[in-house]
Amino acid sequence: MKKLTSLLASAAILTAVSTTGALADVKVGVLVPDSGPAGLFGPSARNSAMLAAEQINAAGGINGENIELMFVDVGVPPAQASQAALRLWKSDGVEAFVGMHDSAVREALIQRFNGEIPYVYTAIYEGNSCATGLYVSGETPSQQLAPVIPYLMETEAVSKWYLIGNDYNWPRDTNALAKEYIAAADGEVVGEEYLPFAVAEFDSSLQRIKESGADAVLVTLVGGDSVGFNVSFAGFGLDEQALRLGTLIEENTLAGVGADNANRLFSSSGYFASIETEAATTFAAQYADAYGGDAAPLNALGQSTYEGLLMLAALGNKAGSLDVAAMDAAAEGTTWESPRGNNTMAGRHVAQTIYLADGTGGAFNVTSTFADVASSEACN
Amino acid sequence: MSTVLFLNIAWQIATLAIVTLGLAIVFGKLRIMNMAHGEFVMIGAYSPIMTSSLGLPMWMQIPVCILTVAFVALVVERVVVRHLYGRIFDSLLATWGISILLREGVELIFGRGFQSASAPISGTMTVLGTDYPAYRVLIFVLIVLGFIALAWWNARSKVATQIKAMVGNPALAQAIGINTSRLSAGAFVFGCTTAGLAGLMLAPTVQIEPMMGLDYLIRSFFALVIGGLGTLSGLGIGTTLIAGTQSAISAASSQTAGYLVVLVISILFLWLKPNGIRPSSR
Repeated sequence: MKKLTSLLASAAILTAVSTTGALADVKVGVLVPDSGPAGLFGPSARNSAMLAAEQINAAGGINGENIELMFVDVGVPPAQASQAALRLWKSDGVEAFVGMHDSAVREALIQRFNGEIPYVYTAIYEGNSCATGLYVSGETPSQQLAPVIPYLMETEAVSKWYLIGNDYNWPRDTNALAKEYIAAADGEVVGEEYLPFAVAEFDSSLQRIKESGADAVLVTLVGGDSVGFNVSFAGFGLDEQALRLGTLIEENTLAGVGADNANRLFSSSGYFASIETEAATTFAAQYADAYGGDAAPLNALGQSTYEGLLMLAALGNKAGSLDVAAMDAAAEGTTWESPRGNNTMAGRHVAQTIYLADGTGGAFNVTSTFADVASSEACN
Repeated sequence: MSTVLFLNIAWQIATLAIVTLGLAIVFGKLRIMNMAHGEFVMIGAYSPIMTSSLGLPMWMQIPVCILTVAFVALVVERVVVRHLYGRIFDSLLATWGISILLREGVELIFGRGFQSASAPISGTMTVLGTDYPAYRVLIFVLIVLGFIALAWWNARSKVATQIKAMVGNPALAQAIGINTSRLSAGAFVFGCTTAGLAGLMLAPTVQIEPMMGLDYLIRSFFALVIGGLGTLSGLGIGTTLIAGTQSAISAASSQTAGYLVVLVISILFLWLKPNGIRPSSR
């Protein structure tokens, strides 16, 4: 009995010590996928977040307090992910969240958070999310397409678009916007197709593209499906008939497509590892210094956690606290600089720089830069 | 039916047949439900990446593939599978574990990311009056020749007869001096190696990543459910029905419809004709 009492006492002391220890820092929950289909992006997302925390702290933290990151794997079903996030918030005293994950997890988190804690969402997403306390740093389809579609139609002299994507809301919402931009630029949509996930072959779709006479294909397939499609596309020699534009073709996807199959494969994104601005090259050098040459390669999704933390710091510092009401009042018009360029908060989304890169030869070569591209999403 | 659709269907049937062959041998002959079958396809697909990272010339992909896959299969057979012959459910669980192990192993060595493999020949060529990828034509011819050779061997070889004897009556086969342990190991390694070679052949035409094996396992399993186990003709019927139906319906309607029909056919067969069209001798 005595032993138990002393054990309890030391446990109590330990808890007290760790609590006081924690008071010195602001804890930020970072939600990244370590498992599941997006688990591929876990390592680069963690690395980028840790680099951001180090730099934010070196610059004085948020409102003078250092931030401490707490990671949770959200590559799991939404209910499980939101449970884990809830534990961080209620038990570990996290004061803000930065998340890079799919939309299903985001909606589950929004339900849990109920607008009571700031939540920065960093992944590329379809738009239409305006919950209280939610701040979106990632690109939305309007940003990736509004400047890029007319540009490609003019410079590459294409006009007949075929839209192909996986069958869920991100590709469908992206294509709904794409149709507007294509029509506005006097182009025409010659085909639209949605495939189930992990489809066995793309032969019939490729044949339809060939017969449609399309000279441009907008690809909103994701992950392995995007790789498989692009490999077969070039195998059939369709790269000579049509250019491809993707809004989620990042470095890993391009590596899977391979140099042989990437002829005229364009990607539109807020970030590429090969952006040559000073801010971006400095960031890439810092990343390489911190994690070595064998570290998970930089890509738009992984790097987005860095952007998200920078945005959280900018908002928190401007508002003077991490309280949602204070942040909401101060958010609009907040500006900050990042490896992606100059960013301005507008409607709790970010007006940011969009890059168009050509993957021909198996590596992204940024061919155009569009500064201050606002999102058509605007939350009050 | 357009020429391209005809070629696509022929290609899908041929590639599904070569992927399924190993599963059919191991399940049909040894009564092992090899859930790690897709992982052998995956390891085969990684052999171009292994070859180039070892700095070897492209033609070495074939020996690298055969040696790697055969070695892994032999280890798996000696350590785990040989204890489970004839115990279908146990073998299913054990090989499922092995499949996870193999995926994690490949992930550890090559990382989670996608890899790509170059085809030895690129571009398209004119077949039956239409442009078709030259590499697909080459592989199609190789697969057809391979199956002809296998059918010939199966009908003539002493080893094939011994396997038949072993499957038909293991005790009697042992009594007349057939080394069933070595024969089983050989059959398992051979089956897995065909899967590896299928992976190598498909590598330049598909996505390569540690999780890729699962899709191949599922489609192979469907083909076996329909065709039945144990005969080459059953394998032919199963793969033709699965790959042919999916390709034809995907072309005529949509990919979703094609996949749906394959699922419905598979369920109907499992329900109404669980031994398939050509049930095995046992």
